[in-house]
Amino acid sequence: MNRNTFEITNRPKWQEFSLLLDDQDKRSPTMDATHLPHLFRSVCNDLALAEHRRYGHQLCGELNELVIRGYKHMHSAPATSWAGMTYFLAVQFPQLVRKEWKLFWVCTLSFLIPYLILWISGRYEISWIQSILGASGMTSMSEMYGDTDTSVHLRAEYGSNFMMFCFYIWNNVRIDFQIFAGGILGGVGTIFFLVFNGIHIGASAGYVDYACSPEKFYSFVAGHSSFELIGMVIAGIAGMKMGMAVLHPGRLNRSDALIKGGKESLPFVYGAAFLTTLAAVIEGFWSAQPIAPSIKYTVGGAFWALLIAYFLFAGRRYRAT
Amino acid sequence: MPNPLPKLDTLQTVELAEGVEIRLRMAGPLIRGYAFMIDLLIKGAILMGVSMLFEMVSFISADTFGVGLMLLSWFFISWFYHVLFEYGKKGATPGKRAMKLRVVQPSGASITFGQAVIRNFMRFADAFPSIMIPGGGMVIPSYGFALTACLLTKRFQRLGDLAANTLVVYDRPYMPPGVPRETKLKALRPSVSLSKEEESALINFDDRAGTWSQERRVELTDYLVSLTGATGATGMNKVASMAQWLRENR
Repeated sequence: MNRNTFEITNRPKWQEFSLLLDDQDKRSPTMDATHLPHLFRSVCNDLALAEHRRYGHQLCGELNELVIRGYKHMHSAPATSWAGMTYFLAVQFPQLVRKEWKLFWVCTLSFLIPYLILWISGRYEISWIQSILGASGMTSMSEMYGDTDTSVHLRAEYGSNFMMFCFYIWNNVRIDFQIFAGGILGGVGTIFFLVFNGIHIGASAGYVDYACSPEKFYSFVAGHSSFELIGMVIAGIAGMKMGMAVLHPGRLNRSDALIKGGKESLPFVYGAAFLTTLAAVIEGFWSAQPIAPSIKYTVGGAFWALLIAYFLFAGRRYRAT
Repeated sequence: MPNPLPKLDTLQTVELAEGVEIRLRMAGPLIRGYAFMIDLLIKGAILMGVSMLFEMVSFISADTFGVGLMLLSWFFISWFYHVLFEYGKKGATPGKRAMKLRVVQPSGASITFGQAVIRNFMRFADAFPSIMIPGGGMVIPSYGFALTACLLTKRFQRLGDLAANTLVVYDRPYMPPGVPRETKLKALRPSVSLSKEEESALINFDDRAGTWSQERRVELTDYLVSLTGATGATGMNKVASMAQWLRENR
């Protein structure tokens, strides 16, 4: 068979395949596509033949395009289901966090050590904290948590709950994503953001002890702190998975390790975004409500206990996936 | 041939599960830069529109509701504009579509949601180092890391592409312009037996001959004097006839 007979014999099949793919691209396909796989394999075969017999750029290029278009239809990823998402949150996610306990502690300590140093430093020498917060930072801390009048609704001057909720999404979830993305630079970006947040939050806490009303501050942060801090640490795990792929690829080469690291870090990105979004909901609609501090501490403590129990025990009965 | 010639084009050959090889044409940093600029303009325009709308909402309701919505849309546009468009059916943001590009897996298949998330969240790292404008406090991401990674990898992958295992390719593979011959030539068997590469060179020459001037065609076929035994128009016609013979008999 020469090129011309090859083309004449098979052209109707290619046209049919192309029409079928056009139809499948539409929002609501109208044609019967049951023989699409068969046609696809047949066109694959034609391309292989045409390449082997060197039928020229024109023909091979045309078949190449048909095969690529067909492949996209034949091999598309299955959509995620609600059941899958529930299973992820109830079983897989806590399992994965337990599996990465080493990275969990690396990230927790990267945040906690600078936090504690700065917080405690305020009792002895306030100048570190002052230089970190700066004049504007100290003013805004005093405005928010100052001793003036504890009965005033915290949100009266800082906008509606909804606005603050949006602000926390915009700011805090973004920080999570940055912590994750910084991981690809050998983990340096991740550790940097964790330490930076530790320093900044530690300085804020230290300054509140020094100059503001601690009760106002701690009753405000009690409710959402568990979700927000653990969410941040989990974003740190995601970043460190990428970082370790670059620094310590093990038996893989670096590019394969990076792909594997990317895949394995995804659950942590989703989990971190989920926890931080929950934190934003609580921070926006609960933390600033005029409720007795004792209730806020109880609720905050309950959230911490719940979250720790979740990560320690959830999904234990299921086999690791 | 023991030592094949180094490749000059940006085609990448991929073997599919069906056992057939396809060719993907990689998109270089420049055209991706254009696509990025278009997306940047679109994102800016959306943000401006959204801001104006919500400003009006705030003005009417005298509440900070509008500010909240603005922050929320800012967040979603900056983090999910690329993710959602690249995960979508077209596999490309409007900017990429305008440049006829799309994002694919190395097999040519559409990317998954996870891959879209990884490749676009990594933009933050790819955008380094940032250029600080002194005084104004403005920070402009230079995408220096992305460019460096693109130039160092065979398939023009930035860091996000490397981590997500994705490629940016031209939506349609490059088709050399061909002009079908009006008059059918008499087939002529080549005087010596040719290798597969030589045969395809003759056929490709003939496919593309219509796009060149007569002088250029003759100039090229003059190199084949050892095959045709003639120069000038005679030689060129002989090459075309041989190509015709190869088409009919191979």
